[in-house]
Amino acid sequence: MTLAKIEKLDRLVEAGVEARTAEGGSLWHQSLRRMRRSPMAITGAAIVGLFLLIAILGPWIAPHSSTAQEWGDEVFLNRNIFPGPRAENWFGLDHLGRDMFSRMVVGARQTLLVGVVATLIGFAAGAVVGGVAAASGIFGGRWGQRIESVIMRSVDVALAIPMLLLALSIAAMLGPSLTTVMVAVGVAQIPIFARLLRGSMLAQAHSDYVMAAISLGVPKSRIVISHIFPNSLGPVIVQATLVLATAIIEAAALSYLGLGNPDPGSAEWGTMLADAQRFLAGAPQLAIYPAVGIIITALGFTLLGEAMRESLDPRLRREQ
Amino acid sequence: MRTSRTTLARRAVAASASAVIALGALAACGSEGDGEDEDTQNAEDFSFECPEREDGERAPDEAANEEQPFIFGTPGVPTSLDPVLASDGETFRVTRQVFDTLLDHDCTDMVPGLAESYEQNDEGTEWTFHLREGVTFHDGVELDGEAVCANFDRWNNFTGGYQSPSNTYYWSNFFRGFAESDPEMGVEGESIYDGCEADGLTATIRISEYTANFPGAFSMATTAIVSPGSLEQLTDDDMDAPDSPLPEYSQEAGVLAGTGPYKYVEWDHSENAVTLERYDDYWGDPAGVKTIIFRQIGDGNALRQALEAGDIHGYDLVSPADVQPLIDAGFQVPTRGVFNILYLSYNQVSGTLGDHAIREALSYAVDRERIVNSVLPPGGSVATQFMPPSLEGWSEDVVQYEHDPERATELLADAGAEDLELEFCYPTDVSRPYMPNPKDIFDIIAQNLEDAGVTVEATPITWVDYIDATNQGECELYLLGWTGDFNEAYNFLGTWFQTETTEWGFDNPEIFDGLAEAASEPDADVRAEHWIELNEMIMEELPGLPISSSPPSIAFAPEVYPPDVSPLTQEDFSELYFAAAE
Repeated sequence: MTLAKIEKLDRLVEAGVEARTAEGGSLWHQSLRRMRRSPMAITGAAIVGLFLLIAILGPWIAPHSSTAQEWGDEVFLNRNIFPGPRAENWFGLDHLGRDMFSRMVVGARQTLLVGVVATLIGFAAGAVVGGVAAASGIFGGRWGQRIESVIMRSVDVALAIPMLLLALSIAAMLGPSLTTVMVAVGVAQIPIFARLLRGSMLAQAHSDYVMAAISLGVPKSRIVISHIFPNSLGPVIVQATLVLATAIIEAAALSYLGLGNPDPGSAEWGTMLADAQRFLAGAPQLAIYPAVGIIITALGFTLLGEAMRESLDPRLRREQ
Repeated sequence: MRTSRTTLARRAVAASASAVIALGALAACGSEGDGEDEDTQNAEDFSFECPEREDGERAPDEAANEEQPFIFGTPGVPTSLDPVLASDGETFRVTRQVFDTLLDHDCTDMVPGLAESYEQNDEGTEWTFHLREGVTFHDGVELDGEAVCANFDRWNNFTGGYQSPSNTYYWSNFFRGFAESDPEMGVEGESIYDGCEADGLTATIRISEYTANFPGAFSMATTAIVSPGSLEQLTDDDMDAPDSPLPEYSQEAGVLAGTGPYKYVEWDHSENAVTLERYDDYWGDPAGVKTIIFRQIGDGNALRQALEAGDIHGYDLVSPADVQPLIDAGFQVPTRGVFNILYLSYNQVSGTLGDHAIREALSYAVDRERIVNSVLPPGGSVATQFMPPSLEGWSEDVVQYEHDPERATELLADAGAEDLELEFCYPTDVSRPYMPNPKDIFDIIAQNLEDAGVTVEATPITWVDYIDATNQGECELYLLGWTGDFNEAYNFLGTWFQTETTEWGFDNPEIFDGLAEAASEPDADVRAEHWIELNEMIMEELPGLPISSSPPSIAFAPEVYPPDVSPLTQEDFSELYFAAAE
């Protein structure tokens, strides 16, 4: 599992380098060209686009309040009476008499927010860790290599721990809140970004333009920051799209386990799913909406990410 | 207590003539009280304490009863096999099957237990119990007055960590303290236990001061009689601190022997399962099933799935939403009587809720009807005071706080509290007999309060920490409740309003003194008058808002003939058996 994970990351690094050396044109140009022909990428992009639209415009689209228990008197959860889909409430009512459709729409924003912030946290921290490791490996001499070893072995250890388990431990330590979920999911992504960036930077270190910069006497710190780092970001950004999908699923999982937003009124897909679980026997529709929402969104990001990865992957490219 | 306290409703099969004289009077009081309730405001939607059983007897499946263990799924594990060291329903559910108490319950009526009859003096300070003949403990020792006295003497002489209320809550609650109370262990009172005298099959227990906890205390699972043979093996000095681990003997089967229909076989801590086996020389009707296993199985969903899958044959505290689907699938969910109170506490420690008008406003804001109708199990009712209507001393004339959001907003405006902010705690990971899904109830109340203009800060706390947090006044609003231990108003009111506490944070000497006076009144009728008056005073003071009384559900597999269900959640598992297919 872990090996497969590492192998995938390393292949992404390779892809970044090869794309640069081959054919000409930037990494992005090539992959975009390839992706335009891929139905997988188009489907993914469409789903992600729709999701982004809903998430951003959510509160304006939602026909009713997502928190007010407007139809509270019509729901009898002790007798499994949940007024189903009807003209007023397209998806029916939830267990407290709130409009399910409005909650789904408003919940999308929460989900997106958690996913994006968590990925940013993982990306930023991972970039620092990976960047430091790579820089000290390239230019730090013997001590630098030792530091690199220590950092990267720790990263590998962290990579070996199942991501959800890691996130769960962090969330349990910090106590339930929305920030907790973001931090927990974000921290769990750090090792991925760190390993990817370090690999990518090491590959760049041997390229001609770096050699040129060194022989011109450009300071090492500047070489790392303004030359190697920006040129190594390609694969990392591809990975970020994929991570976003996992982040959304994991955020939902943590909320589902009760570690999310403690305000039970706020709409969030994972929390909605957890709430609905108790009524699975009598009102399965309450669980189906958020579950389908999570699945489709995660699918969208995965399709898009995988399509990007494939369009970059040199081995797949040769087969084409 | 917060947890379901257990006494079991053993059918009064063996009620002899002498018992009827002594106990008949009490039973009469109970049923008379129920009759009166019919005229009161809530009676029409209030289900009787012990609904009639609808199913008839069934033919037992002899082979299954001998060979197949009956497995009962529980939401929690017992604390101790020795009931005196516990105060929770999960423990008592098990110990009730193994030990007997002097007095017992049928429905909520007091009936003979190990004592066939008892007498008390006029002051209520001397209690003489006439024990059944021919009762033997599981270790072969015969029951006599000496055995009873040995138990009471042992409890009163507890020292060290044994005295901590977290271990022996009920003893210090009923008897106020120990022979030598140790303030360091959290017990400051002086024991009102004044010795026990044995004479053949009678035991006379003296208390220096009557309280309304008697004779109820003698029916409490914690005062179950343990074999003197077991007591000889105990030293009772292995707990030095209040938080010392419970003694080994209470954590494994072997030492403890009782007189009940079942005896301990094993407590498998890795499986969280306690196994009991039928005791063949039991004094009453022999148990239906030979082996019973109480096994802890996660939450309500896991329990329901285990029952549906046939892994267990019954479980307690069924979620209200699961009741109908289970019945439709052929499972049995007998209706229990109602004997509990769920309330919303207005804690005044922080001062904000010290303003009576604000407490009044909040009470008008909460839509209790909706909670009862949509969240709680069918058969519940809105509570008007801090005890269920079936008890003597329930008042018809307490101040009522009908749902009136406009009035709530007005009152808040008049009190100058338009931008009120309150911390509202609710427990997670728990289902209580009086509160099946705390979060749903919280959600509704929080919405009600928000509608009235109050900003609610939601504070979920895990059940393990919840009691401590609320007891120490950390929450301004919190949900909690109580299942009655026996048929006495003091068991409800006395639990909360004896003195100023951080649990409530109010100081009303009139209520505290009135309660003390009522509690020391041995005449039940006079006492009832006091309770009526106190209920009215308490609802005037409004330390919290009583929300509901509702029946907790228990489920059994189709092939099981279930025991009589008890409003005190004190089922007698020796009554159940596997029935032959029809």
